[in-house]
Amino acid sequence: MPVELDDSSTVSGDASVSSTGNQNPPPKSAGKKKRNLPGMPDPDSEVIALSPKTLMATNRFVCEICSKGFQRDQNLQLHRRGHNLPWKLRQRSSKEVRKKVYVCPVSGCVHHDPSRALGDLTGIKKHFCRKHGEKKYKCEKCSKSYAVQSDWKAHSKICGTKEYRCDCGTLFSRRDSFITHRAFCEVLAEESAKNNHTQSNKLYPETVIRKNLPEPELKSPAAVDSPPSVALVPAPAVSVEPEPEPEPEPEPEPEPQPANIASSSVLPIPDSSESPENNTLEVVMEEAPRTIGLNGSNDHSNNNKSLYAGLFASSSSTASPSLYASSTPSSSRYPPSSSMEPISLCLSTTSPSLFGATIQDPPPHFLTPMSLPPPQPAISATALLQKAAQMGSTGSGGSLLRGLGIVSSTSSPMELSSHDAGFGLGLGLPCSSGTGLKELMMGNSSVFDPKQTTLDFLGLGRAAGNNPGGGGGGGLSSALWGGGSGMDVFGSGELSGKDIGRRSS
Amino acid sequence: MNKAMILNPTRPVWPGFSSSKSLCGDASCMEQLLLHCANAIESNDATLTQQTIWVINNLASSDGDSTQRLASSFLRALISRAATKSPAFSFLSAASASRETLHRFSVMELASFVDLTPWHRFGFIAANAAILDAVKGYSSVHIVDLSLTHCMQIPTLIDSMATQLIDKEQPPPLLRLTVVLAESPPPPLLGISYEELGLKLVSFATTRNIAMEFRIIYSSYSDGLSSLTEQLRLDPLVSNEALVVNCHMMLHYIPHETISSSRSSFLKELRDLNPTMVTLIEEDADFTSSNFISRLRSLFNYMWIPYDTADTFLTCGSEQRQWYEADVGWRIANVVAKEGAERVERLEPKRRWFERMRDAEFTGVGFGEAVEREVKAMLEEHAGGWGMKSDVDDSDDVERFVLTWKGHSVVFASAWVPMSRVDGCSYIEALEIG
Repeated sequence: MPVELDDSSTVSGDASVSSTGNQNPPPKSAGKKKRNLPGMPDPDSEVIALSPKTLMATNRFVCEICSKGFQRDQNLQLHRRGHNLPWKLRQRSSKEVRKKVYVCPVSGCVHHDPSRALGDLTGIKKHFCRKHGEKKYKCEKCSKSYAVQSDWKAHSKICGTKEYRCDCGTLFSRRDSFITHRAFCEVLAEESAKNNHTQSNKLYPETVIRKNLPEPELKSPAAVDSPPSVALVPAPAVSVEPEPEPEPEPEPEPEPQPANIASSSVLPIPDSSESPENNTLEVVMEEAPRTIGLNGSNDHSNNNKSLYAGLFASSSSTASPSLYASSTPSSSRYPPSSSMEPISLCLSTTSPSLFGATIQDPPPHFLTPMSLPPPQPAISATALLQKAAQMGSTGSGGSLLRGLGIVSSTSSPMELSSHDAGFGLGLGLPCSSGTGLKELMMGNSSVFDPKQTTLDFLGLGRAAGNNPGGGGGGGLSSALWGGGSGMDVFGSGELSGKDIGRRSS
Repeated sequence: MNKAMILNPTRPVWPGFSSSKSLCGDASCMEQLLLHCANAIESNDATLTQQTIWVINNLASSDGDSTQRLASSFLRALISRAATKSPAFSFLSAASASRETLHRFSVMELASFVDLTPWHRFGFIAANAAILDAVKGYSSVHIVDLSLTHCMQIPTLIDSMATQLIDKEQPPPLLRLTVVLAESPPPPLLGISYEELGLKLVSFATTRNIAMEFRIIYSSYSDGLSSLTEQLRLDPLVSNEALVVNCHMMLHYIPHETISSSRSSFLKELRDLNPTMVTLIEEDADFTSSNFISRLRSLFNYMWIPYDTADTFLTCGSEQRQWYEADVGWRIANVVAKEGAERVERLEPKRRWFERMRDAEFTGVGFGEAVEREVKAMLEEHAGGWGMKSDVDDSDDVERFVLTWKGHSVVFASAWVPMSRVDGCSYIEALEIG
């Protein structure tokens, strides 16, 4: 272990070395010395225990000639030079100086024990102040107070400068907690839902959940899921396997009940595309609603899979790379609402600043295909869902929810946006669909506010008006998770055995 | 809360012992008492058990300071153990913390929960950095997220991918996320379905212009995630796809040698899949001893940490703290009162995990200084007791990060790549060579 030969060198400078247990090593001097971790001192070092008074004394280093006090040894040495001492007296004693480590005088403190002493005087002083001292310095902007002035200054510099504010009003000081929150923030989802509603009836990037079967042959739909971005990539192997034509039709083939969910894939459909692609898109989108369905619905056992496949089947049959290759964003097509900035939605490249900068911006509107007429499918999604809801609903939706263990009330009641086009789960607004679902599952009665004409995508408002509370939610949940008995266990995330029994009865 | 029904409390056998809380407020005293109680239970000594329970009961409190709350959890667990152990303890009612009473977190609650302390964020930052580095240049990234936090690591990963993996030539890669849904997952429990969770994640990815797929695989930790590995083996090979397995505090639920060899076999099966990277983040403690007393001791010397940290970020009596401590209590009860396959909390220390990884032909990669700085910057935002150390493992000379609380190890983070089977050098080196 290197021994500190020169007492005058301050190890840490201003680095904050010494909050208890905090192991930030001080900034390294030129050439990396192997340092002991702060608080784990070199066993050969000399332990110095200073009294609190001495510790807090500001001028420990005293000039022997004029008795002037200095805070740092370096400063004292500099001062001594001015006294024109003869050479001999100028030098410090050249004996080997043992490394000194310092303990905190407060008993019970972690650093009171010599084995956890700190190697630096400034460090121990700061530690003593921070941990055992009175917090005299208060930040004006926030409520934090500090005992050590340098801490306070350091904080004031950054206080309020880096702030991330979510649209729901929550403030974050760290970007990663902000991002994590934002990913799930329902208020955010609601807003983007509202924004998207103004563009009306647009199908959403398909965040469809597919039931996947473990058999390998059904993997191909999963591969198909990814054409949009994969198509842009020179890796055609992944991409679009030409789906057999039957895919778009709702498959009558029975799906085994244990439905492993395959992929919720996103279909990032660019804002603008040339007209031929538009037509294709339209075609794709039009097909999709026919296959909308929730697994619980008995008539459409395979709809999710086919929904997926349906979306991509036609895309695969056309030159799918071109579909999604359009990289020219044109937000003119989607006049952003006043709160939003035009954002490039191209898949290929975009300037990083768009993404980096958009953190604070209002949520980008979802990628949606262009100018699609509201699909008029043979069986409307709304009807399907209502059917599913009726079938799934046991009339005791509330207890159903309770049985699923989802009882807790949510923190903030959400206001769901109204949609008149009742789109299916996968085609609605993904976030808000999640929201709506969650709200329903939570049995939040504010969801079924009679004042609202409809409930978002589910179109359950009409039904829910008659079936308040968990009925719609229960139905939906059963629909979503498959009417079968087995998988509901997993669909809810966690169910005990008795709950299964209750559900299937 | 069910405490022991003690009809005739006898005088404690320690003369001069006062039940004043101030006397035995500190942890080591409490530890001794708990060990006494444990010994009494193990030797089927009903009287002594009763006495110790009575004493601890007077000191412990679910509303007190961190030591008292810790003791309260331990006491409940010990009582539960005793009651299920032998008819000698029939006077005790076993009030085990059943999972039904545990709070089910909404997604928003969980999102804020994981950032209350660095416990999880530490691993998130390190793992995401390693993952991002490993997947550069791939057009498809398949992440298998085995995480206690139900994908709370993913939003920041998506965000990093969106900002860092964009360049002029290539679009951001496709993100495929596979998660495992087990039948009885450990706390924290998620209140929504994984399907819903997936929906939200995918929508979020969309807003970041990342195409994403989400897949749920039903598998069980108790059998070493065999259905997961089977499914992964069956996945068609995708060209230019990176496979990343992110193990965040879940692998210890795979039984280890006292029950079966699943833990090692899982790692070997992982190796066979030739992943681009495996990140392993686990709590650094040893709950594997088959000797109950030493297990209890290890447990106590680790579990004081969550209670202690709770004081820093959660106010007394707050709902969040109750949820948090209930979850911790469940884990304590699992280690203390359960045996055999039911005891799932089998934490192993870092060096043991590293041995396993090496045995499974993985080699470690370091995180780098930039990540270290990032982690430290994050720690600055939290209470003063948090710190990190960067330990070099002698066997492979790779720096690993360890999160510490007041100097004690809490969580370790490590990143691994497959070792090339040809000549023992790392897979990456092999790529460069040939």
